[in-house]
Amino acid sequence: MKFGLFYELSVPRPWTRESERTVYDNALEQVKLADELGFDQVWAVEHHFLEEYSHCPAPELFLTACAMVTKRIRVGFGIVVCVPEFNHPIKIAERTAVLDILSGGRVEVGTGRSATWTELAGFNASPDVTKKSWDEFVRCLPKMWTSEKFEFEGEFWSMPRRTILPKVYQRPHPPMWVAVTSPGTELDAADRGLGSLGLTFGQFAEQEKRIAEYRRRIQLCEPVGEFVNDQVSTVNFLYCHEDDAVALQTGRQMANHFNYLAAQLISVRETYPSKSYPSLGLLPQLRRQATGPEASEQAGEGLCLGGPERITRALRRWEACGVDRVNFLLNTAETIPQADVLASLRLFAREVMPAFNGSKS
Amino acid sequence: MPIFGELELGTIAEELPRLRDLDTEAWELPKAEILQVACEIADGSRALLPRALHPAIPEYVTFVVTRYPESPVGPFDLAQVRLMARAGVHPRGYVVGAVASTASAASELRARWGYPAAPGEITLRRYHDRVAAMVRREGQTILEMALIDPEIVSGGDLQYIHGITLARVDGASQLIQVDPHYTLHNAARGRAHVSRFDAAAWHATPITLTTPISASVSTSDTDLPRIRFVMDPEAPVVRGTRKVR
Repeated sequence: MKFGLFYELSVPRPWTRESERTVYDNALEQVKLADELGFDQVWAVEHHFLEEYSHCPAPELFLTACAMVTKRIRVGFGIVVCVPEFNHPIKIAERTAVLDILSGGRVEVGTGRSATWTELAGFNASPDVTKKSWDEFVRCLPKMWTSEKFEFEGEFWSMPRRTILPKVYQRPHPPMWVAVTSPGTELDAADRGLGSLGLTFGQFAEQEKRIAEYRRRIQLCEPVGEFVNDQVSTVNFLYCHEDDAVALQTGRQMANHFNYLAAQLISVRETYPSKSYPSLGLLPQLRRQATGPEASEQAGEGLCLGGPERITRALRRWEACGVDRVNFLLNTAETIPQADVLASLRLFAREVMPAFNGSKS
Repeated sequence: MPIFGELELGTIAEELPRLRDLDTEAWELPKAEILQVACEIADGSRALLPRALHPAIPEYVTFVVTRYPESPVGPFDLAQVRLMARAGVHPRGYVVGAVASTASAASELRARWGYPAAPGEITLRRYHDRVAAMVRREGQTILEMALIDPEIVSGGDLQYIHGITLARVDGASQLIQVDPHYTLHNAARGRAHVSRFDAAAWHATPITLTTPISASVSTSDTDLPRIRFVMDPEAPVVRGTRKVR
């Protein structure tokens, strides 16, 4: 099992001139330390207009900075929104390639389509066709990276024959992933030979079932890229402290704050009836975790909040479910002081990581 | 922490509907026709929103016109203007204004669930290319809206957000959660169009419409249920919520 970091870059009110800079600086310091400690990857999302929840509209810039202060950690460009009003596919291909060159071939690409009215309407994008545009984009990207010349005529975009430059540094191209929140999206990933980049928390039984179906389905895939990425990644919170009770209290506060901020967003389904968004995705689960029976438990099922032993047990369960990678949210809206976040990372690397294969001991 | 509403409760407390008690009996409301139009609004509506609630990001309203062919007070229509918000982590529609088509319905809705309902005229008509509603009070059209180009969707594609009213109960102001059930028989969606909205007539002067979002129409068996939760309008709901039953 491999471990990584996952950034939304949430910025608490009141916003000052320095508050956003502080969040970015703290994140960079965490990534630098994570690289030294043996974490495998760092992911940064693309979000727009999501007040407090995520001030990360240009993840490739943040990840370039990450690559410049690290040596080994891989940089996850994603979720990059594969909707033409947000990003032209040529620009995605080009920016990915530049980041791959600058990082020395450490890029991974996560694809998605946005799930909020807040963002889609902000770009005047129709929620009805985001799945179709995403599909068109993910089929083009590998060819844009690997073909000497490329031309395309599709429903959402077209281009005459051109040489898209530069080419990615990795051969044949970076691993590709799909953001998975709604049930069923993992099957879209499997059908295309793409990794499942899970963005939901907890719920072992549900996840185990979905992972098993993903594994079965990807055996039959028609890959959009030059190779099949059959890895399953999930996201989790991390706060590790020698005192289990302290860790639970602090970590729970961070997790609840995250869920609270996420619940303020307007999901597509809340306001725009569309077959393209058949489920509410991540938000109902976060609401349940913030207010339902799970909220009163010491820690939600499978969350990595606690002392090293508790976290090791949770990760063992995830490993048994078939998860290959776990990406951690380390903080929300700076609720945990930076020194404590760094201490949590060090303790995790010292006491938990050695128990799992694939990470530095 | 997300920003909160900024309603000065004292300025409207005396005008609020007065509930007899919180033991309101449920009303079964079969075969209701529900037209809902959602529209983004300009900043500035926070002055209407109780301090317990967070404004949606971005701020938006829903106009809901419902025809109830059967009810304990006979057939009636109800039009609501709802400022969409969050009660903690839950999406809710805070009712800033309401019109009912009969005096008895207006009176009972005020006394039982705290709807700020006044009597008026409401029309709801289905055409092949639109579903249109109009609300009039004292000889003036105060809302005219339509769903354009209806397209059949599954009932599961619609999500109705629960409502919240603000009323006086036992001499104190309380937010009342109104959380109907819906069994949908058919549903359609379409483009939203609002041709007239007299904000002042709905006690919603700060609301200025900007971008239409969506419109939906359904036929549904629904209800106005017993009151389950009330909230202190001046405190965050995580502290100020009380379960009634």
